[in-house]
Amino acid sequence: MAKGYRYFEAIEKHAGALGVGIAIMVSLGGLAEITPLFMRAHEVSAEAGVKPYDPLRLAGKDIYVREGCYLCHTQMIRALRAETQRYGHYSVSEESVYDRPHQWGSKRTGPDLARVGGKYSDAWQQLHLMDPRAVVVESNMPGYPWLATEAIDAEDIKARMRVLRTLGDPYSESDIAAATQAVEGKTAMDALIAYLQGLGVANVAQADAPADAPSAPANAGAP
Amino acid sequence: MSTFWSIWIMALAVTNMGITLFLFLWGQRVEIPVLPDGTTGHVWAHGVLRESVRKLPRWWVWMSASMFAIGVVYLALYPGFGSHKGLLGWTSHGELARDVANNRATARGFDAYYLSVAPAELASNPAAVQLGERIFIDNCAACHGRHAQGNKLLGAPNLIDADWLYGGDDATVKTSILNGRHGTMPPLGEALGEAGVGNVANYVLGLSGAAHDAQAAAAGQPMFALCAACHGPDGKGNPALGAPNLTDTVWLYGGDLAAIKQTIVAGRSGVMPAWQSRLQAVDVHLVLTWMRAQSD
Repeated sequence: MAKGYRYFEAIEKHAGALGVGIAIMVSLGGLAEITPLFMRAHEVSAEAGVKPYDPLRLAGKDIYVREGCYLCHTQMIRALRAETQRYGHYSVSEESVYDRPHQWGSKRTGPDLARVGGKYSDAWQQLHLMDPRAVVVESNMPGYPWLATEAIDAEDIKARMRVLRTLGDPYSESDIAAATQAVEGKTAMDALIAYLQGLGVANVAQADAPADAPSAPANAGAP
Repeated sequence: MSTFWSIWIMALAVTNMGITLFLFLWGQRVEIPVLPDGTTGHVWAHGVLRESVRKLPRWWVWMSASMFAIGVVYLALYPGFGSHKGLLGWTSHGELARDVANNRATARGFDAYYLSVAPAELASNPAAVQLGERIFIDNCAACHGRHAQGNKLLGAPNLIDADWLYGGDDATVKTSILNGRHGTMPPLGEALGEAGVGNVANYVLGLSGAAHDAQAAAAGQPMFALCAACHGPDGKGNPALGAPNLTDTVWLYGGDLAAIKQTIVAGRSGVMPAWQSRLQAVDVHLVLTWMRAQSD
Protein backbone atom coordinates (compact mmCIF):
# COMPACT_ATOMS: atom_id res chain seq x y z
CA MET A 1 0.00 0.00 0.00
CA ALA A 2 1.35 3.40 -1.00
CA LYS A 3 2.61 5.96 1.49
CA GLY A 4 -0.15 7.39 3.77
CA TYR A 5 -2.94 6.20 1.52
CA ARG A 6 -4.57 4.20 4.30
CA TYR A 7 -5.39 7.39 6.24
CA PHE A 8 -6.28 9.36 3.13
CA GLU A 9 -8.72 6.63 2.15
CA ALA A 10 -10.22 6.56 5.63
CA ILE A 11 -11.17 10.21 5.34
CA GLU A 12 -12.09 10.30 1.67
CA LYS A 13 -14.20 7.18 1.44
CA HIS A 14 -16.26 7.65 4.59
CA ALA A 15 -18.66 10.55 4.08
CA GLY A 16 -19.87 10.37 7.69
CA ALA A 17 -16.34 10.63 9.07
CA LEU A 18 -15.59 13.47 6.66
CA GLY A 19 -18.71 15.27 7.91
CA VAL A 20 -17.61 14.84 11.53
CA GLY A 21 -14.15 16.14 10.64
CA ILE A 22 -15.64 19.22 8.95
CA ALA A 23 -17.93 19.82 11.93
CA ILE A 24 -14.93 19.70 14.27
CA MET A 25 -12.98 22.20 12.17
CA VAL A 26 -15.92 24.61 11.94
CA SER A 27 -16.52 24.29 15.69
CA LEU A 28 -12.97 25.41 16.36
CA GLY A 29 -13.87 28.72 14.70
CA GLY A 30 -17.09 28.96 16.67
CA LEU A 31 -15.35 28.21 19.96
CA ALA A 32 -12.81 30.94 19.29
CA GLU A 33 -15.32 33.57 18.12
CA ILE A 34 -18.45 32.94 20.16
CA THR A 35 -17.42 31.49 23.52
CA PRO A 36 -15.32 34.42 24.80
CA LEU A 37 -18.03 36.99 23.95
CA PHE A 38 -20.69 34.76 25.41
CA MET A 39 -18.77 34.46 28.68
CA ARG A 40 -17.85 38.15 28.70
CA ALA A 41 -21.48 39.16 28.36
CA HIS A 42 -21.94 38.28 32.01
CA GLU A 43 -19.15 40.67 32.96
CA VAL A 44 -20.92 43.74 31.50
CA SER A 45 -22.32 45.75 34.37
CA ALA A 46 -24.59 48.75 34.46
CA GLU A 47 -22.81 52.08 34.69
CA ALA A 48 -24.00 54.74 37.09
CA GLY A 49 -27.15 56.21 35.60
CA VAL A 50 -28.30 52.99 33.94
CA LYS A 51 -31.10 51.84 36.22
CA PRO A 52 -33.41 48.84 35.93
CA TYR A 53 -36.77 49.59 34.31
CA ASP A 54 -39.36 51.26 36.49
CA PRO A 55 -42.64 49.28 36.62
CA LEU A 56 -44.47 51.16 33.86
CA ARG A 57 -41.52 51.06 31.44
CA LEU A 58 -40.93 47.40 32.29
CA ALA A 59 -44.54 46.70 31.28
CA GLY A 60 -43.96 48.72 28.11
CA LYS A 61 -40.79 46.81 27.28
CA ASP A 62 -42.65 43.50 27.51
CA ILE A 63 -45.42 44.84 25.25
CA TYR A 64 -42.75 45.96 22.77
CA VAL A 65 -41.43 42.39 22.73
CA ARG A 66 -44.89 40.81 22.70
CA GLU A 67 -46.05 42.87 19.72
CA GLY A 68 -42.88 42.02 17.83
CA CYS A 69 -41.68 45.58 17.36
CA TYR A 70 -38.16 44.16 17.04
CA LEU A 71 -39.16 42.55 13.76
CA CYS A 72 -38.99 45.95 12.08
CA HIS A 73 -37.09 48.17 14.53
CA THR A 74 -33.57 47.71 15.85
CA GLN A 75 -32.18 49.29 18.98
CA MET A 76 -28.57 49.25 17.94
CA ILE A 77 -26.85 52.25 16.44
CA ARG A 78 -23.72 50.95 14.77
CA ALA A 79 -20.37 52.74 14.92
CA LEU A 80 -20.71 54.11 11.40
CA ARG A 81 -20.91 57.80 10.53
CA ALA A 82 -24.14 57.47 8.57
CA GLU A 83 -25.73 55.90 11.67
CA THR A 84 -24.39 58.21 14.36
CA GLN A 85 -25.23 61.25 12.24
CA ARG A 86 -28.85 60.21 12.00
CA TYR A 87 -29.49 58.44 15.30
CA GLY A 88 -26.86 59.76 17.74
CA HIS A 89 -24.07 58.09 19.72
CA TYR A 90 -23.49 54.45 18.85
CA SER A 91 -25.06 51.90 21.20
CA VAL A 92 -22.97 50.35 23.96
CA SER A 93 -23.64 47.06 25.72
CA GLU A 94 -24.03 48.74 29.12
CA GLU A 95 -27.25 50.36 27.91
CA SER A 96 -28.87 46.97 27.36
CA VAL A 97 -27.94 45.17 30.59
CA TYR A 98 -31.56 45.19 31.77
CA ASP A 99 -33.02 44.12 28.44
CA ARG A 100 -33.98 40.47 28.47
CA PRO A 101 -33.81 39.70 25.63
CA HIS A 102 -31.76 42.57 24.21
CA GLN A 103 -33.35 44.41 21.27
CA TRP A 104 -30.30 45.00 19.07
CA GLY A 105 -30.89 43.29 15.76
CA SER A 106 -29.90 44.05 12.21
CA LYS A 107 -33.30 44.03 10.51
CA ARG A 108 -34.71 47.49 9.88
CA THR A 109 -37.98 48.10 8.10
CA GLY A 110 -38.63 51.08 10.34
CA PRO A 111 -35.98 53.34 11.86
CA ASP A 112 -33.68 52.44 14.73
CA LEU A 113 -35.28 53.28 18.08
CA ALA A 114 -32.29 53.16 20.44
CA ARG A 115 -32.44 56.93 21.04
CA VAL A 116 -36.00 57.79 20.02
CA GLY A 117 -36.92 58.93 23.55
CA GLY A 118 -38.03 62.57 23.54
CA LYS A 119 -37.81 62.88 19.78
CA TYR A 120 -41.59 63.11 19.51
CA SER A 121 -44.26 64.17 21.98
CA ASP A 122 -46.38 61.68 23.94
CA ALA A 123 -49.40 62.80 21.93
CA TRP A 124 -47.56 61.98 18.71
CA GLN A 125 -46.60 58.53 19.99
CA GLN A 126 -50.21 57.83 20.97
CA LEU A 127 -51.63 58.99 17.65
CA HIS A 128 -48.92 57.12 15.75
CA LEU A 129 -49.51 53.83 17.57
CA MET A 130 -53.28 54.11 17.07
CA ASP A 131 -52.95 54.83 13.35
CA PRO A 132 -49.47 55.51 11.94
CA ARG A 133 -50.86 57.06 8.77
CA ALA A 134 -52.61 59.77 10.76
CA VAL A 135 -49.20 61.37 11.21
CA VAL A 136 -46.91 59.78 8.62
CA VAL A 137 -48.89 59.35 5.42
CA GLU A 138 -46.37 57.06 3.71
CA SER A 139 -45.83 54.78 6.75
CA ASN A 140 -46.36 51.03 6.34
CA MET A 141 -46.37 50.32 10.07
CA PRO A 142 -49.47 48.57 11.39
CA GLY A 143 -51.65 50.30 13.99
CA TYR A 144 -51.90 48.97 17.56
CA PRO A 145 -55.23 50.42 18.69
CA TRP A 146 -56.02 47.58 21.11
CA LEU A 147 -53.22 48.75 23.41
CA ALA A 148 -55.32 51.80 24.35
CA THR A 149 -57.96 49.67 26.07
CA GLU A 150 -55.72 47.02 27.62
CA ALA A 151 -55.13 47.48 31.35
CA ILE A 152 -51.81 46.74 33.05
CA ASP A 153 -51.99 44.16 35.82
CA ALA A 154 -49.90 45.38 38.77
CA GLU A 155 -49.56 41.91 40.32
CA ASP A 156 -48.21 40.58 37.05
CA ILE A 157 -45.62 43.36 36.85
CA LYS A 158 -44.59 42.75 40.46
CA ALA A 159 -44.12 39.05 39.72
CA ARG A 160 -41.89 39.97 36.76
CA MET A 161 -39.84 42.30 38.94
CA ARG A 162 -39.31 39.50 41.47
CA VAL A 163 -38.16 37.15 38.73
CA LEU A 164 -35.80 39.80 37.36
CA ARG A 165 -34.43 40.25 40.88
CA THR A 166 -33.48 36.58 40.98
CA LEU A 167 -31.56 37.22 37.74
CA GLY A 168 -29.62 40.03 39.41
CA ASP A 169 -31.60 43.21 38.69
CA PRO A 170 -31.33 45.41 41.79
CA TYR A 171 -35.04 45.88 42.61
CA SER A 172 -35.72 46.54 46.29
CA GLU A 173 -38.87 45.41 48.14
CA SER A 174 -40.10 49.01 48.13
CA ASP A 175 -39.49 49.28 44.36
CA ILE A 176 -41.70 46.25 43.87
CA ALA A 177 -44.34 47.48 46.30
CA ALA A 178 -44.44 50.84 44.49
CA ALA A 179 -45.43 49.09 41.25
CA THR A 180 -49.08 48.93 42.31
CA GLN A 181 -49.34 52.70 42.31
CA ALA A 182 -47.07 53.20 39.32
CA VAL A 183 -49.24 51.22 36.91
CA GLU A 184 -52.64 51.98 38.44
CA GLY A 185 -55.11 53.05 35.77
CA LYS A 186 -52.44 52.81 33.08
CA THR A 187 -53.08 51.15 29.75
CA ALA A 188 -50.70 49.11 27.64
CA MET A 189 -50.52 52.19 25.41
CA ASP A 190 -49.31 54.36 28.32
CA ALA A 191 -46.73 51.73 29.23
CA LEU A 192 -45.39 51.39 25.70
CA ILE A 193 -45.16 55.17 25.30
CA ALA A 194 -43.32 55.46 28.63
CA TYR A 195 -40.91 52.78 27.44
CA LEU A 196 -40.33 54.46 24.07
CA GLN A 197 -39.83 57.88 25.65
CA GLY A 198 -37.15 56.40 27.90
CA LEU A 199 -35.12 54.85 25.06
CA GLY A 200 -31.75 56.53 24.86
CA VAL A 201 -32.70 58.78 27.77
CA ALA A 202 -33.28 56.69 30.88
CA ASN A 203 -30.77 53.94 30.09
CA VAL A 204 -27.76 56.11 29.30
CA ALA A 205 -24.92 56.69 31.72
CA GLN A 206 -24.43 60.43 32.26
CA ALA A 207 -20.86 60.28 30.96
CA ASP A 208 -22.05 58.84 27.66
CA ALA A 209 -25.09 61.05 27.32
CA PRO A 210 -23.88 63.66 24.79
CA ALA A 211 -24.80 62.17 21.47
CA ASP A 212 -22.89 62.89 18.32
CA ALA A 213 -25.41 65.37 17.03
CA PRO A 214 -25.91 65.23 13.31
CA SER A 215 -24.13 67.73 11.17
CA ALA A 216 -24.96 68.66 7.63
CA PRO A 217 -23.57 66.17 5.15
CA ALA A 218 -20.68 67.48 3.11
CA ASN A 219 -22.00 66.54 -0.28
CA ALA A 220 -23.56 69.87 -1.13
CA GLY A 221 -22.07 72.50 -3.33
CA ALA A 222 -21.77 76.12 -2.26
CA PRO A 223 -22.45 78.56 -5.05
CA MET B 1 -9.86 40.49 27.55
CA SER B 2 -8.44 38.21 30.21
CA THR B 3 -5.25 36.23 29.60
CA PHE B 4 -7.22 32.99 29.69
CA TRP B 5 -9.55 33.95 26.87
CA SER B 6 -6.69 35.46 24.90
CA ILE B 7 -4.76 32.17 25.08
CA TRP B 8 -7.98 30.26 24.35
CA ILE B 9 -8.48 32.15 21.09
CA MET B 10 -4.82 31.97 20.08
CA ALA B 11 -4.67 28.24 20.73
CA LEU B 12 -7.82 27.55 18.73
CA ALA B 13 -6.69 29.75 15.86
CA VAL B 14 -3.28 28.11 15.71
CA THR B 15 -4.81 24.62 15.99
CA ASN B 16 -7.32 25.35 13.24
CA MET B 17 -4.75 26.80 10.86
CA GLY B 18 -2.24 24.08 11.77
CA ILE B 19 -4.62 21.22 10.98
CA THR B 20 -5.76 22.77 7.71
CA LEU B 21 -2.17 23.53 6.68
CA PHE B 22 -1.15 19.96 7.48
CA LEU B 23 -4.04 18.50 5.48
CA PHE B 24 -3.25 20.87 2.61
CA LEU B 25 0.43 19.83 2.43
CA TRP B 26 -0.06 16.15 3.28
CA GLY B 27 -3.00 15.63 0.93
CA GLN B 28 -0.85 16.56 -2.04
CA ARG B 29 1.95 14.14 -1.11
CA VAL B 30 -0.17 11.05 -0.54
CA GLU B 31 0.55 8.45 -3.14
CA ILE B 32 -2.73 7.17 -4.47
CA PRO B 33 -2.52 3.67 -5.98
CA VAL B 34 -3.31 3.80 -9.69
CA LEU B 35 -4.60 0.90 -11.76
CA PRO B 36 -3.25 0.26 -15.28
CA ASP B 37 -6.24 2.12 -16.79
CA GLY B 38 -5.22 5.33 -14.92
CA THR B 39 -8.05 5.22 -12.36
CA THR B 40 -8.20 4.43 -8.65
CA GLY B 41 -10.60 1.57 -9.27
CA HIS B 42 -13.24 3.64 -7.49
CA VAL B 43 -16.43 3.41 -9.55
CA TRP B 44 -19.96 4.75 -9.35
CA ALA B 45 -23.16 4.17 -11.23
CA HIS B 46 -22.38 0.58 -12.21
CA GLY B 47 -19.03 1.51 -13.71
CA VAL B 48 -20.23 4.48 -15.76
CA LEU B 49 -18.27 6.90 -13.57
CA ARG B 50 -14.67 6.10 -12.66
CA GLU B 51 -12.27 8.16 -10.56
CA SER B 52 -9.04 9.02 -12.34
CA VAL B 53 -5.97 10.42 -10.58
CA ARG B 54 -4.68 13.86 -11.51
CA LYS B 55 -2.51 16.36 -9.76
CA LEU B 56 -4.32 19.38 -8.35
CA PRO B 57 -4.25 22.32 -10.80
CA ARG B 58 -1.43 24.71 -9.96
CA TRP B 59 -3.74 27.76 -9.76
CA TRP B 60 -5.82 25.95 -7.14
CA VAL B 61 -2.75 25.11 -5.07
CA TRP B 62 -1.53 28.70 -5.21
CA MET B 63 -4.94 30.08 -4.34
CA SER B 64 -5.22 27.82 -1.31
CA ALA B 65 -1.68 28.63 -0.20
CA SER B 66 -2.40 32.37 -0.47
CA MET B 67 -5.42 31.93 1.85
CA PHE B 68 -3.04 30.88 4.63
CA ALA B 69 -0.79 33.85 3.91
CA ILE B 70 -3.73 36.27 3.89
CA GLY B 71 -5.02 34.80 7.16
CA VAL B 72 -1.69 35.25 8.89
CA VAL B 73 -1.22 38.80 7.57
CA TYR B 74 -4.76 39.73 8.60
CA LEU B 75 -4.27 38.46 12.15
CA ALA B 76 -1.00 40.38 12.34
CA LEU B 77 -2.47 43.69 11.11
CA TYR B 78 -5.97 43.69 12.61
CA PRO B 79 -7.46 42.72 15.98
CA GLY B 80 -8.53 39.06 16.10
CA PHE B 81 -5.64 36.98 17.44
CA GLY B 82 -6.50 36.95 21.14
CA SER B 83 -5.59 40.21 22.82
CA HIS B 84 -3.18 41.19 20.01
CA LYS B 85 -4.45 44.60 18.94
CA GLY B 86 -3.07 44.43 15.42
CA LEU B 87 -0.09 46.32 14.04
CA LEU B 88 -2.33 48.94 12.39
CA GLY B 89 -4.07 49.77 15.69
CA TRP B 90 -7.44 49.69 13.88
CA THR B 91 -10.69 49.94 15.87
CA SER B 92 -14.24 50.51 14.62
CA HIS B 93 -14.60 53.45 17.02
CA GLY B 94 -11.35 54.92 15.75
CA GLU B 95 -12.56 54.62 12.18
CA LEU B 96 -15.84 56.29 13.13
CA ALA B 97 -13.99 59.15 14.82
CA ARG B 98 -11.85 59.59 11.71
CA ASP B 99 -14.89 59.54 9.41
CA VAL B 100 -16.70 62.09 11.57
CA ALA B 101 -13.62 64.34 11.74
CA ASN B 102 -13.12 64.15 7.97
CA ASN B 103 -16.76 64.95 7.38
CA ARG B 104 -16.66 67.88 9.79
CA ALA B 105 -13.52 69.21 8.13
CA THR B 106 -15.20 69.06 4.73
CA ALA B 107 -18.47 70.49 6.00
CA ARG B 108 -16.91 73.32 8.00
CA GLY B 109 -16.49 75.61 5.02
CA PHE B 110 -20.04 75.02 3.83
CA ASP B 111 -21.46 75.40 7.33
CA ALA B 112 -19.74 78.76 7.81
CA TYR B 113 -21.05 79.95 4.47
CA TYR B 114 -24.60 78.73 5.07
CA LEU B 115 -24.74 80.34 8.49
CA SER B 116 -23.57 83.63 7.04
CA VAL B 117 -26.53 83.88 4.67
CA ALA B 118 -30.07 84.56 5.91
CA PRO B 119 -32.48 81.64 5.29
CA ALA B 120 -34.76 83.67 3.03
CA GLU B 121 -31.78 84.46 0.79
CA LEU B 122 -30.21 80.99 1.09
CA ALA B 123 -33.55 79.57 -0.10
CA SER B 124 -32.42 80.24 -3.67
CA ASN B 125 -29.47 77.83 -3.21
CA PRO B 126 -30.71 74.38 -4.31
CA ALA B 127 -27.97 72.50 -2.42
CA ALA B 128 -28.81 74.20 0.87
CA VAL B 129 -32.52 73.63 0.32
CA GLN B 130 -31.92 69.95 -0.40
CA LEU B 131 -29.88 69.55 2.79
CA GLY B 132 -32.60 71.28 4.76
CA GLU B 133 -35.23 68.99 3.27
CA ARG B 134 -33.28 65.90 4.33
CA ILE B 135 -33.07 67.13 7.90
CA PHE B 136 -36.73 68.16 7.85
CA ILE B 137 -37.91 64.75 6.62
CA ASP B 138 -35.93 62.87 9.25
CA ASN B 139 -36.85 65.07 12.19
CA CYS B 140 -39.79 67.40 11.60
CA ALA B 141 -42.03 65.67 9.05
CA ALA B 142 -43.41 63.15 11.56
CA CYS B 143 -45.54 65.88 13.16
CA HIS B 144 -45.61 68.75 10.64
CA GLY B 145 -46.09 66.48 7.63
CA ARG B 146 -43.89 65.71 4.66
CA HIS B 147 -44.78 69.04 3.06
CA ALA B 148 -44.83 71.06 6.31
CA GLN B 149 -48.58 71.43 5.94
CA GLY B 150 -49.17 70.69 9.65
CA ASN B 151 -51.40 68.14 11.34
CA LYS B 152 -54.67 69.16 12.98
CA LEU B 153 -54.85 65.91 14.98
CA LEU B 154 -51.73 66.97 16.87
CA GLY B 155 -52.13 70.71 16.60
CA ALA B 156 -48.83 70.75 14.71
CA PRO B 157 -48.88 74.04 12.80
CA ASN B 158 -48.44 74.58 9.09
CA LEU B 159 -44.90 75.91 8.69
CA ILE B 160 -45.11 77.38 5.22
CA ASP B 161 -48.01 79.79 5.62
CA ALA B 162 -47.59 83.33 6.90
CA ASP B 163 -49.14 82.56 10.29
CA TRP B 164 -46.84 82.03 13.30
CA LEU B 165 -47.81 81.25 16.88
CA TYR B 166 -44.64 82.53 18.53
CA GLY B 167 -43.39 84.81 15.77
CA GLY B 168 -42.01 84.02 12.36
CA ASP B 169 -38.68 85.84 12.33
CA ASP B 170 -35.56 83.70 11.96
CA ALA B 171 -34.40 84.03 15.56
CA THR B 172 -37.79 83.12 17.04
CA VAL B 173 -38.32 80.11 14.80
CA LYS B 174 -34.82 78.87 15.65
CA THR B 175 -35.60 79.30 19.34
CA SER B 176 -38.79 77.28 18.87
CA ILE B 177 -36.82 74.48 17.21
CA LEU B 178 -33.88 74.39 19.63
CA ASN B 179 -35.77 74.83 22.91
CA GLY B 180 -39.13 73.37 21.97
CA ARG B 181 -42.54 74.82 22.85
CA HIS B 182 -45.46 73.71 24.96
CA GLY B 183 -48.70 75.37 23.96
CA THR B 184 -51.29 74.91 26.69
CA MET B 185 -54.97 75.76 26.49
CA PRO B 186 -56.67 75.04 29.82
CA PRO B 187 -59.95 73.08 29.82
CA LEU B 188 -62.84 75.54 30.34
CA GLY B 189 -65.81 73.20 30.01
CA GLU B 190 -66.64 73.31 33.72
CA ALA B 191 -66.09 77.03 34.09
CA LEU B 192 -68.35 77.93 31.14
CA GLY B 193 -70.99 75.20 31.34
CA GLU B 194 -72.45 73.48 28.31
CA ALA B 195 -74.44 76.47 27.05
CA GLY B 196 -71.55 78.81 27.75
CA VAL B 197 -69.17 76.68 25.68
CA GLY B 198 -71.56 76.83 22.72
CA ASN B 199 -71.97 80.59 23.07
CA VAL B 200 -68.24 81.29 23.31
CA ALA B 201 -67.55 78.93 20.40
CA ASN B 202 -70.03 80.88 18.26
CA TYR B 203 -68.45 84.15 19.33
CA VAL B 204 -65.02 82.78 18.33
CA LEU B 205 -66.41 81.69 14.95
CA GLY B 206 -67.71 85.24 14.51
CA LEU B 207 -64.27 86.69 15.22
CA SER B 208 -62.93 85.23 12.00
CA GLY B 209 -66.05 86.08 10.03
CA ALA B 210 -67.21 82.45 9.77
CA ALA B 211 -70.89 81.51 9.70
CA HIS B 212 -72.23 81.46 13.25
CA ASP B 213 -75.28 81.86 15.46
CA ALA B 214 -75.31 85.63 16.10
CA GLN B 215 -77.57 85.36 19.16
CA ALA B 216 -75.32 82.77 20.81
CA ALA B 217 -72.25 84.80 19.91
CA ALA B 218 -73.73 87.88 21.57
CA ALA B 219 -74.35 85.81 24.70
CA GLY B 220 -70.79 84.48 24.53
CA GLN B 221 -69.09 87.84 24.15
CA PRO B 222 -68.97 88.75 27.89
CA MET B 223 -67.62 85.28 28.72
CA PHE B 224 -64.80 85.78 26.23
CA ALA B 225 -63.12 87.84 28.97
CA LEU B 226 -61.94 84.48 30.30
CA CYS B 227 -60.20 83.80 26.98
CA ALA B 228 -58.85 87.33 26.58
CA ALA B 229 -56.14 86.73 29.19
CA CYS B 230 -54.22 84.75 26.60
CA HIS B 231 -55.90 85.47 23.26
CA GLY B 232 -56.19 89.23 23.92
CA PRO B 233 -59.40 91.28 24.26
CA ASP B 234 -59.79 91.46 20.47
CA GLY B 235 -58.87 87.74 20.03
CA LYS B 236 -55.80 88.53 18.01
CA GLY B 237 -53.62 86.20 20.06
CA ASN B 238 -50.36 86.68 21.91
CA PRO B 239 -47.08 85.48 20.37
CA ALA B 240 -45.34 85.69 23.75
CA LEU B 241 -47.60 82.87 25.00
CA GLY B 242 -48.09 81.18 21.67
CA ALA B 243 -51.81 81.93 22.00
CA PRO B 244 -53.26 81.70 18.47
CA ASN B 245 -54.92 84.57 16.66
CA LEU B 246 -58.64 83.69 16.58
CA THR B 247 -59.60 86.32 14.03
CA ASP B 248 -57.85 84.71 11.05
CA THR B 249 -58.86 81.58 9.17
CA VAL B 250 -55.92 79.45 10.36
CA TRP B 251 -56.90 76.75 12.86
CA LEU B 252 -54.48 74.50 14.68
CA TYR B 253 -57.03 71.85 15.68
CA GLY B 254 -59.81 72.59 13.23
CA GLY B 255 -62.13 75.57 12.81
CA ASP B 256 -65.63 74.06 12.74
CA LEU B 257 -68.01 74.48 15.67
CA ALA B 258 -67.44 70.95 17.01
CA ALA B 259 -63.64 71.28 17.00
CA ILE B 260 -63.75 74.69 18.68
CA LYS B 261 -66.15 73.40 21.33
CA GLN B 262 -63.85 70.43 21.94
CA THR B 263 -60.88 72.78 22.34
CA ILE B 264 -62.76 74.90 24.87
CA VAL B 265 -64.20 71.97 26.85
CA ALA B 266 -61.10 69.76 27.15
CA GLY B 267 -58.29 72.22 26.51
CA ARG B 268 -55.27 71.47 24.36
CA SER B 269 -51.66 70.61 25.03
CA GLY B 270 -49.38 70.90 22.04
CA VAL B 271 -45.78 69.82 22.52
CA MET B 272 -42.93 70.74 20.23
CA PRO B 273 -39.90 68.78 21.48
CA ALA B 274 -36.56 70.57 21.98
CA TRP B 275 -34.09 69.67 19.24
CA GLN B 276 -30.88 71.13 20.61
CA SER B 277 -29.47 67.74 21.57
CA ARG B 278 -30.15 66.35 18.09
CA LEU B 279 -29.62 69.24 15.68
CA GLN B 280 -26.67 71.57 15.29
CA ALA B 281 -27.01 75.28 14.59
CA VAL B 282 -26.36 74.78 10.88
CA ASP B 283 -28.99 72.00 10.71
CA VAL B 284 -31.61 74.32 12.16
CA HIS B 285 -30.52 77.06 9.77
CA LEU B 286 -30.90 74.70 6.81
CA VAL B 287 -34.31 73.45 7.93
CA LEU B 288 -35.45 77.04 8.16
CA THR B 289 -33.98 77.64 4.69
CA TRP B 290 -36.06 74.77 3.32
CA MET B 291 -39.17 76.17 5.00
CA ARG B 292 -38.52 79.60 3.52
CA ALA B 293 -38.07 78.02 0.10
CA GLN B 294 -41.47 76.30 0.40
CA SER B 295 -43.37 79.43 1.39
CA ASP B 296 -42.07 81.44 -1.55
